[in-house]
Amino acid sequence: MSSRRRTVFFWGLVLVFLFALPTMIFYTTGYRLTFEEDAQTMVVTTGGVYISTQSTDVDVYLDEEQIERPRLFRNAYYIQNIDEGVRLVVVQGSGIQTWVKELAVESRIVTEAAAFNLPTVPRLRPVTEFQTATGAAVYFSSSTPATLFADATSTTEFIVSPTSSTVGYVENPEYEFVTSLFGTSTATTTSIFADFIRDMDRFRFMAPGEEVATTSTTTPTIIEQNEIRLVNRELELYAVWQGQSQDIPYYFCVASSTLASTSAQYGQHVADAVFAQLGTTTATSTLVLVDDRTCRTEIKLDRLRQDVYLFDFFPGSSDLVLLQLESGLYVTEIDDRAWQNSQLLYPGSDFRTIIENGLIYVELHDQYFEVITQIEPN
Amino acid sequence: MSDDSHLLPYARRADFKVARANELTGRDRRLYRLLEIVPGVAAWGTLLGIIWASIYASFFAAYFIIAFAIYWVLKTIFLSYHVRYNWKRLRHHMELDWSQLLQRYEYNKYRHLVIFPFYEEPLEVLEGAMEGLIKAHYDPQKLIVVLAAEGRVGQSAVDKTVAITAKYAAQFGEFVVSVHPADTVGEIAGKGSNVHYALHAVHKQIIAPQQIPHKNILVSIFDVDTVIYPDYFNCLIWHFMTAKNPYKSAFQPVPLFTNNLWEASAVSRVMAMSSTFWQMIMQERPDKAATFSSHSVSYQALYEIGYGQANVVSEDSRIYWNLLLANDGYFDVVSLSYPIAMDATTATSAWGTIKNIYKQHRRWTYGVENWCYLVYHFTKHKSIPLRRRWSIALQQGEGYWSLVTNPIMLFILGWTPIFLGSRQFHETVLSYELPIMVRNLLTVAMVGLVFSSIVSLSLTPPRPEGQSRFKYIVMALQWIMVPITMIVFSAIPGLDAQTRLMLGRYMGFWVTPKRVQ
Repeated sequence: MSSRRRTVFFWGLVLVFLFALPTMIFYTTGYRLTFEEDAQTMVVTTGGVYISTQSTDVDVYLDEEQIERPRLFRNAYYIQNIDEGVRLVVVQGSGIQTWVKELAVESRIVTEAAAFNLPTVPRLRPVTEFQTATGAAVYFSSSTPATLFADATSTTEFIVSPTSSTVGYVENPEYEFVTSLFGTSTATTTSIFADFIRDMDRFRFMAPGEEVATTSTTTPTIIEQNEIRLVNRELELYAVWQGQSQDIPYYFCVASSTLASTSAQYGQHVADAVFAQLGTTTATSTLVLVDDRTCRTEIKLDRLRQDVYLFDFFPGSSDLVLLQLESGLYVTEIDDRAWQNSQLLYPGSDFRTIIENGLIYVELHDQYFEVITQIEPN
Repeated sequence: MSDDSHLLPYARRADFKVARANELTGRDRRLYRLLEIVPGVAAWGTLLGIIWASIYASFFAAYFIIAFAIYWVLKTIFLSYHVRYNWKRLRHHMELDWSQLLQRYEYNKYRHLVIFPFYEEPLEVLEGAMEGLIKAHYDPQKLIVVLAAEGRVGQSAVDKTVAITAKYAAQFGEFVVSVHPADTVGEIAGKGSNVHYALHAVHKQIIAPQQIPHKNILVSIFDVDTVIYPDYFNCLIWHFMTAKNPYKSAFQPVPLFTNNLWEASAVSRVMAMSSTFWQMIMQERPDKAATFSSHSVSYQALYEIGYGQANVVSEDSRIYWNLLLANDGYFDVVSLSYPIAMDATTATSAWGTIKNIYKQHRRWTYGVENWCYLVYHFTKHKSIPLRRRWSIALQQGEGYWSLVTNPIMLFILGWTPIFLGSRQFHETVLSYELPIMVRNLLTVAMVGLVFSSIVSLSLTPPRPEGQSRFKYIVMALQWIMVPITMIVFSAIPGLDAQTRLMLGRYMGFWVTPKRVQ
């Protein structure tokens, strides 16, 4: 190859580099060309949305437009080229509850959210005293499964024995374990606010000079996961960040700096929570500045205006909270941007719940079962 | 007349054949030591700098990585263009009737001194080399063949020279056996010292007694697994006759590591062909090349520098830098664009092959010692134009730096801002787009591998009996391993070699095993 030819080729590629570098840097930072007539400039800035889902078998919509599914075995959607503004994201699918969220999209920023979708029909795994040699649960009365699975499905096979004879069946060690759990547990169907209400009543009728009794309040168990603590305070439940401010989850923070813009982007309740605290520091809640964002350290959980009998983190997640309310077992997200999604996991009012080793066990009329949280695979 | 009167003025310097800092004293020693440290510091500084920037300056690191990925794509295009061009030239040169082309030149006075240094290679390898010479379309009486054995191997090496002499010596104009004595002070055991000794031996036994004019001898220093193609000497002498400065030029063929390609593993084949491609690229930019492995040069030029150095690992390139310095910066590499066949690195086991390839490439990349040598002498040798000194030093330095850092930066560190970047960075579109952009650019760059696959298949020797046709498919698909081989067999051994030099843990010559017995 001649030296001249090589030189020309080399400088040609240098020119390509000089053109490609700024172009690609602008592109990767969110700048796009637009040829729409109503656009004020040819160059617009865009943002993105990153949605993680619990299943690959869901459909994601952004402003009612379906998003192409990501590659095989991936359960996260990165949606590019979104103009600044509030966008509606819907995650739905067959046999699962729909997750809906309004998210504020900013230029050059990716807004994150974690969707969750519980089964529309509760899925239960029976835990019976006896089971067949193949592991099928055994009920001795046809009315029992009929009651249990009237509004639910069983994830495993069960049989109804025509007699009360246990001959031919084997004892189920898990049953013994579960009964012992409920036998030693303090799980009740009384309100978690009972102590607070009792203290308030006592204070209300206290005679002048009388001191508040401290023995009636029990020391609450600390429920904490990934540095988020669940706190029951004054008839409300809160998720409180305990860690370093730079590690605080994104949903505690807002990017806007005024009450009006925060309200427009995240909802009035978020604006109130942030701006009510501006300039104040209390023992329970503070504001922290992380980079250019303002972050609360606590978020109030939506209890659907019902009494709460039990609260804990949803197994395997520090972003979701399991609440046993008056009408059933619910899962609520801590992320309160726009609103908090709450989904019914198991309906009812007279059951007891225990979470053990990441499994949710329920006792209903002396029957035990595990509530399955995963969506049925197709 | 002193013993060094035949040497060029710069070659008479006491430090002309310096190999490492501890051979010097005072300021020179400190300067040389500093130069030995520079490549390792530059490589480690770059790699650690990217990690540091990913953590503390994530945006800058991301922009740098985008720029680097674009640069890599364009570099791939640039180099692939060179390969394509040389591929065409190589095939054209293989089809030419070189003896026809030579008819208008008077070249009968030239003799070819062919040196085969060997160590423990099996007899069949030596026989292959001799058969290549016999099959050449060239008068064998014009050949002075030197079989250069290593004394430290012992009787087995001598036995091989006896066997080869008995079988082949009579067929050549001259046949010389030299046995390089073991443990010579001032040398390191290896190919360089063996060749150096052989040149002295042949001078004493043949050239001086027969008073053969030095200008009439072309020296070809071949690795012992080198099997020449039939027109090699015709092609060489044609280029010699037509070269602008034939006595100030080295002549570089294209090494095809194809002798045992069908028996070699896929990793071995990829590395062998990658080395061939690199040499094909260098054939098209001879102004930036140095000699590599088997090559040829006039005896006069070698005599004027005292036959090069016997104390370095990368002797094949060092001989060129010796020549360049001694000739005040004016010594060319002439591309022959004509192949010679050599062995791909193999072993009896897959792990053994991997180890051998690693060690071979570590030895090759230890050629960074030449950069220290060059820059040291550039500070001394003011007769070489300053611009040329800077140009060579920067170009060679960039080559060794990029060899070590580029694959790691591209395939590993390209993702560090995503994992180590600040929270502020993670919230940006840039953070999400960076892996997509880098992945897309790398995919574009990988298209070059398709071209590599095609060229490689075209250079593959005919399928021997007993080899499955299916192997053609494997040979085509083996190129997907390139991202891994670039890191494992280029970047890491290069970093290993530069780190050793940086720490003053100098390497010795490791002999690549040729063909498994």
